[in-house]
Amino acid sequence: MESRAEPDAESPVADELRLPASKSALGPARRYVEETAAAFGFDGGDCYEFAFAVNEAVTNAIKHGCGDEEGTISLSAVTDADRLMFVVRDYGTFSTPSPGAGTGLEQGRGLALMVSFTDEVRVSAKPGCTVVCLSKARA
Amino acid sequence: MGTFYISDDMAYDEDVVVLTVGGEIDYSASPRLKHRITDHLKSDGRHLVLDLSWTTFIDSTAIGVLMGAAKRMHESDHGTLAVVCSHEKVLQIFEISGLDSVITLYGTCDEAISGLAMTG
Repeated sequence: MESRAEPDAESPVADELRLPASKSALGPARRYVEETAAAFGFDGGDCYEFAFAVNEAVTNAIKHGCGDEEGTISLSAVTDADRLMFVVRDYGTFSTPSPGAGTGLEQGRGLALMVSFTDEVRVSAKPGCTVVCLSKARA
Repeated sequence: MGTFYISDDMAYDEDVVVLTVGGEIDYSASPRLKHRITDHLKSDGRHLVLDLSWTTFIDSTAIGVLMGAAKRMHESDHGTLAVVCSHEKVLQIFEISGLDSVITLYGTCDEAISGLAMTG
């Protein structure tokens, strides 16, 4: 039986949005995710959750990463038959949460919330490039 | 979708101040929310009701602002922080992040004001 690989960061990109590595990117990023997820067939609640999770990843990219030479970060959508994945790519170096940061009062919740609202979160960090993949299956 | 906005402090009575926050509270908005709450804490010892009845989105940075504000108010002689919210998804985010175990949530502003009156 032929096995079908699940989409990952190297899968063909269905669509890509280039965003400035600044706070002004957040609203457009959420709208893009909501519209893409709705077009893929997710219901309103799932679209909201996907937008929330991607918003956290884009926020991290803005806070800790940086843009490419043009000052942009990349948000792309990758699909297979029943799974939609968003890939957030920035060109900074991933900052590993320090011990205790996860329990910090004012920060450290983003990843936990991303995990709660998607089926899978994968982080691939290399010096100068951080990729976060968030995927969710269509019901 | 909704643009972030925050009201001027609205004094409800001698014990409670209500701040209405609407739209989407993301990383571009949460510093403004923090600034306004900090201003309140510096100048006013009354209870603070954050009315999020018109808030449609809240991210982890804003959750952090609310958590920090609740802690500062608890540790100081200031009053209590209460949050009004009825948005299903925002309430879910509060639950997952544990905010609902730190800050008392109310369905309406009247309920929050009544609830705070009982805390003294």
